[in-house]
Amino acid sequence: MRLAAYLLPRILAALITLFGVSVLVFLSLRLLPGGYADILLGPFVTPEARAVIAQRYGLDQPLVVQYLRWVWAMLGGDFGVSMVTQRPVIAELLRRAPVTLQLALIALAVALAVGYPLGVISGVRAASRRKRRDFGRVVGAMGASVPDFVLGSVLIFVFSVWSLWFRVGGYVPFGVDPVGNLRTMLLPGLTLSVFGVALILRTTRDAVLRVMTEPHITAAVARGATPGAIIRRHILRNAAIPVVTVVATYFGFLLGGAVIVEVLFSVPGVGLYIFNGLLNRDYAIVQAGVLLAAVVFITINMLADVLYALIDPRVGAAR
Amino acid sequence: MSGVARIARRRLRGDGLTLFGAVSLGCLLFLGIFGPWLPLGDPSRIAAGPRLGAPSAAFLFGTDELGRDFLPRVVQGIRSTFLLSAIAVAITAVIGTLLGMAAGYLGRHTDQIVARGADILFAFPALVAGLLVAAVMGPGQASAITVISIATLPLFIRVVRSVTLGVAGRGFVTAAEVAGASTLRVMVVHLLPNVMGAVMVQLTYALSIGMIIESALSFLGLGVQPPDASLGSLLRQGSAYLTIAPWMVLSSGVVLSLAIMSVNLVGDAARDALEPLKGRPLT
Repeated sequence: MRLAAYLLPRILAALITLFGVSVLVFLSLRLLPGGYADILLGPFVTPEARAVIAQRYGLDQPLVVQYLRWVWAMLGGDFGVSMVTQRPVIAELLRRAPVTLQLALIALAVALAVGYPLGVISGVRAASRRKRRDFGRVVGAMGASVPDFVLGSVLIFVFSVWSLWFRVGGYVPFGVDPVGNLRTMLLPGLTLSVFGVALILRTTRDAVLRVMTEPHITAAVARGATPGAIIRRHILRNAAIPVVTVVATYFGFLLGGAVIVEVLFSVPGVGLYIFNGLLNRDYAIVQAGVLLAAVVFITINMLADVLYALIDPRVGAAR
Repeated sequence: MSGVARIARRRLRGDGLTLFGAVSLGCLLFLGIFGPWLPLGDPSRIAAGPRLGAPSAAFLFGTDELGRDFLPRVVQGIRSTFLLSAIAVAITAVIGTLLGMAAGYLGRHTDQIVARGADILFAFPALVAGLLVAAVMGPGQASAITVISIATLPLFIRVVRSVTLGVAGRGFVTAAEVAGASTLRVMVVHLLPNVMGAVMVQLTYALSIGMIIESALSFLGLGVQPPDASLGSLLRQGSAYLTIAPWMVLSSGVVLSLAIMSVNLVGDAARDALEPLKGRPLT
């Protein structure tokens, strides 16, 4: 019951956000210079042809009607048709979604496996009396500062000179050739993970430090508990809560399309599809892609709120 | 002012990383601001040296495919990357602070509308939003500024709103209200000074996010257009010759990373000074 009282406003807020996002995407593409008819037919368009297009696509209707029709079509699974291939956009997006998902999972796994432990160590060290070199700050500062396309370019350079084991480009699905798949996906995944490593490290470090200001840590120290036991029993779990939020936001962004890494490594994922759609002025792709990226982001964050309530019993109880 | 300088000096002593960030930020800003008047050479002079020439004493960063000296190009890039991001973030900071204060202080419907608006903007991954903006506005500096604003506005709104919520309930605000101060006066005289610290910290982070977004968009060819150069567009230019002339990507990439890192380090120091976090030692 309390859980419902906590979750309902959040679900409602997510729905409102979703509505706002859809209106923004809808309006922005109606604002395109020249309008939809010009884009379809090119600049040398006769008024008659324009009228035919306007009628076929319902552009002569009031905006509200157009919007409602658009939403209704999407609820029925119609996200528009690519102008280049004349195939439904949603089919291609769904076909490419697993590629981006794999990339995001690799990046997230690396970011968590490296960032969380480093963050805990760095936080505990920052609180300790002995002044030691705080490598966590160095890693955090560097990871948050080297843009993924810079790192990616350097990696491509290094691995094109000494090919080693990795391969740049030439994606194969995991199901067809697992080793070949990893040879092409690990480099982009690692590139993508660096910002996540820094993000999770810094969040964890702050969370650990914040937990360590609380009285129950002092109490544990006074009881004579060993540092290891305090970290395991009192710090790890409490510090995980803000990390969950950040992980959700990060994962949502990754799923929304790791545009630049996919372009750089020619990984045929969602981001590359949207980018190519833009280059081809195939705006149905851009529209559907941007909308779905935002929908995924909102959904993941809502799920994180649920997870939050499950990890931290105080969340449901306080409201 | 001397107080700020004293605190800054005390913080910098014994903290090599922050010192490094402050010094390199100072150098980069100097290059960015005074670059056009420094004797570094002309960034647009074609055939100043060999085509795709490797770094040498005459051309420290080598030359590009048109024989242009790459060092002044990078300096030009520093200038436009900082400038574009700073313009975008300055505009966003003003709007975000106003909206955040209004949401936190006026509450109720204003709060609901502003908070939802921030959520809506936040739901677009920055570069995906960049593709949409580029589709609508066409590639260029204006779209870059718009994308940076979309990405950083929610950050300002959220931080300012939460700080305002904490301040708005305090005694001096209530006293001002009882004394008959107008809503505008309370916000400008009593709330604004109290949120400024948080805004300054957020400003540095937003600046580094802005630089990342600007260079990413320019790298994709959606931001700064040739013959203008930003660090991102230089990387784009260099990546075509990555294997035969790697110095273009390396020099602009290292400078860009350094620029972002120094802004981040200064931001970290500002945040630590504003809200020191000292955990209890475990032994």
